[in-house]
Amino acid sequence: MTLHDTLDQDRRELVELTDDLLGRHCDLDFLRARIDDGTAHTPGLWSRLAETGLVSALVAEEQGGAGLSPAHLSGVLHSLGRHAVPEPYLETAVLAATVLGALPGPVADTWLPRIAAGDAIVVVRLGELTPLVPYAADADLLLDLADDGAVRAFTADELEVTPVAALDPLRPLARVVLAGAGTEVGDDSAVVARTRTLALAGAACLLAGASQRLLDLTVEYVAVREQFGRPVGSFQAVKHKAADLAVMVDMATAAALSAFDAVDEPDGPRRAAAAKAYAGDAAARANVDALQLHGGIGFTWEYHLHIWLKRAMGLAASYGTTTALRRDLARELLARVAGERRG
Amino acid sequence: MNHPVTEADVEEFRAEVRAWLAENVPAEPLPPWTEREGFDLHRAWEGRLFEGGYAAVDWPAEYGGRDAGLRRSMAFAEEYYRAGAPERINMGGLYLLGPVLMQYGTPEQCARWIPDLLACRTIWCQGFSEPGSGSDLASLRTRAERDGDHFVVNGQKIWTSMGGFADWIFALVRTDPEAGRKRKHDGITFLCIDLRSPGVEVRPLAMVDGTRGFAEVFFTDVRVPVENVVGEIDRGWAVAMSTLGFERGAVFGDHAKFSNDVADLAALVDARDLGEDTHALDELGRVLVQTEVYRANVYRLAARAEAGGELDSTASINKVFWTQMQHDIFDTGIRLLAEDGAAVGDPGSLPDADPATLRAWSQWHHRYWYARAAMIFGGTNEIQRNIISERVLGLPMEPRR
Repeated sequence: MTLHDTLDQDRRELVELTDDLLGRHCDLDFLRARIDDGTAHTPGLWSRLAETGLVSALVAEEQGGAGLSPAHLSGVLHSLGRHAVPEPYLETAVLAATVLGALPGPVADTWLPRIAAGDAIVVVRLGELTPLVPYAADADLLLDLADDGAVRAFTADELEVTPVAALDPLRPLARVVLAGAGTEVGDDSAVVARTRTLALAGAACLLAGASQRLLDLTVEYVAVREQFGRPVGSFQAVKHKAADLAVMVDMATAAALSAFDAVDEPDGPRRAAAAKAYAGDAAARANVDALQLHGGIGFTWEYHLHIWLKRAMGLAASYGTTTALRRDLARELLARVAGERRG
Repeated sequence: MNHPVTEADVEEFRAEVRAWLAENVPAEPLPPWTEREGFDLHRAWEGRLFEGGYAAVDWPAEYGGRDAGLRRSMAFAEEYYRAGAPERINMGGLYLLGPVLMQYGTPEQCARWIPDLLACRTIWCQGFSEPGSGSDLASLRTRAERDGDHFVVNGQKIWTSMGGFADWIFALVRTDPEAGRKRKHDGITFLCIDLRSPGVEVRPLAMVDGTRGFAEVFFTDVRVPVENVVGEIDRGWAVAMSTLGFERGAVFGDHAKFSNDVADLAALVDARDLGEDTHALDELGRVLVQTEVYRANVYRLAARAEAGGELDSTASINKVFWTQMQHDIFDTGIRLLAEDGAAVGDPGSLPDADPATLRAWSQWHHRYWYARAAMIFGGTNEIQRNIISERVLGLPMEPRR
């Protein structure tokens, strides 16, 4: 099943719009130039995303946005993953926009219109989920979400940001120390919990998209690479690896998109955690098999497989690892079942 | 259906089903259907479901179903498994032959076979595989020669699920060997055969776990009326492929069964005091994640089916995933039982075991072996990988004839 078959009409149109934009402005040459000059985020690409309305999609109309619900953006995130977009879209346009949208006040009034206009990068720190904060060095504002529900905003001059050498050069990471007092945005544990769910499901969508690209690149390659006088993709040993990967990528996509749609359902947190855990598994499989089936060419800097190999590895390790999420889910189920057995 | 099914319709139906199941589901689990006593009890249960109007809620009303549509059918399945109701034994009839008859059968055939099938008065089995024809199904050699208004059938079928308990078999037979020599998919006919006919011999096969759920069926000069052909004579391959589509595709709602199994697994982890064991948590978490992913996929496929989309291309992906997941669940369970699970051949050898262990042992060993079989039946998972790589990914065909 293709992504196209999984989405309804509205979301399909948003995906087509995104694919078209990224095909023109975020191609391989663009990504290579970003790696070469060591700058992932650029105001140029960000403003193009903003001009098409993608950055302001979740911001309320009165603050300059389109007032859509997050569910509209699941396919967009998948597309951003397929294109390895080096921008803090999940962080700013999804997470920060929904946090500020849910906590009205002076901070939201100041920053939401700036987000909507594409004039501000706002990132989020989510406790244990973000020991390293993506795109913190590019941020104009950081929202710190504590587990107890306290949300505070810190401007760039109130932060000590130490960039680390990220495995994926197109997704920069930094250690952040809160140096200033910050400003209170609100205190609402439901908002924090919902943001965690959105982060997990959103990362799962990005990751499923990156894995899809690894699969697509691999299928294209084995269909044209010939050995023994036939395409290597005609050998069963190769075909079955590709098929197993296709199963995992398709299932990861189904789980990720549906979890992103379901953030407000009662079982939303569980579905998001499961989707991220499985997307991490699928990405690990995609990483291993894509490189194996490409053979030597996949190791070279000249060929572009490494862009998605590293995107898959980096995202799988961000916003909760598969191992940690699985253990949490298992503990939660055990608590429920043990309660029923003793109850 | 005249009006779209609303969430309220689904919930109303769910409540009705839940109440009926609470009244009717046997308090104690039935003995396994692989022995005669258990089989008869399962059959009686199917009769009760039929009386209640729940034998096939998704079927059209004209064939005795409830026209429930996908979402209400899924709600039925979710409630069915949640209530711990018995395993269905007439799946071959309800999910394979029934839909085939509705699509290819004559009105006379539908009237003759569907009501008894629905009420479980007749049990049907599938006669496709032969000793020499497994993955290469179209190489099948069971012959049916025309003699007036009858076919005379000679040959052998194998791996027929529930063959030892079935009354009828729907079989693929070769009616035109000449056409088959040019193209092996031609000259095959889909034929329904009464297993009580003279010349039929059914030999139950003792399986690896000691059960007798499968059988071999031998045909020696068995006379079958021509009117028992479903679809066109010599064009049975297309009919057979549509049943395989049903067999591989989603049984909408079965995600609830697997979620229950994972909850049982959690109960076992708890009973054996492994709640702080990271290995046990990792294993439990892994299969829990798989069942959540599978549920998402079932709902995706249902939405697609409701929108009128085709599901053929998804059937192979779905089959590889659910059979692997099912295997992983029971494999995990047996490994968590450690020596009690894999080294002991009978729960009677565990006099001191806790109830969760005994329950797990008695329920899971059978289902573990069934899970292994599921990776083979309905087209092996290797055949599914060929289909996925060629029809979904567009990779070149293997040379084959």
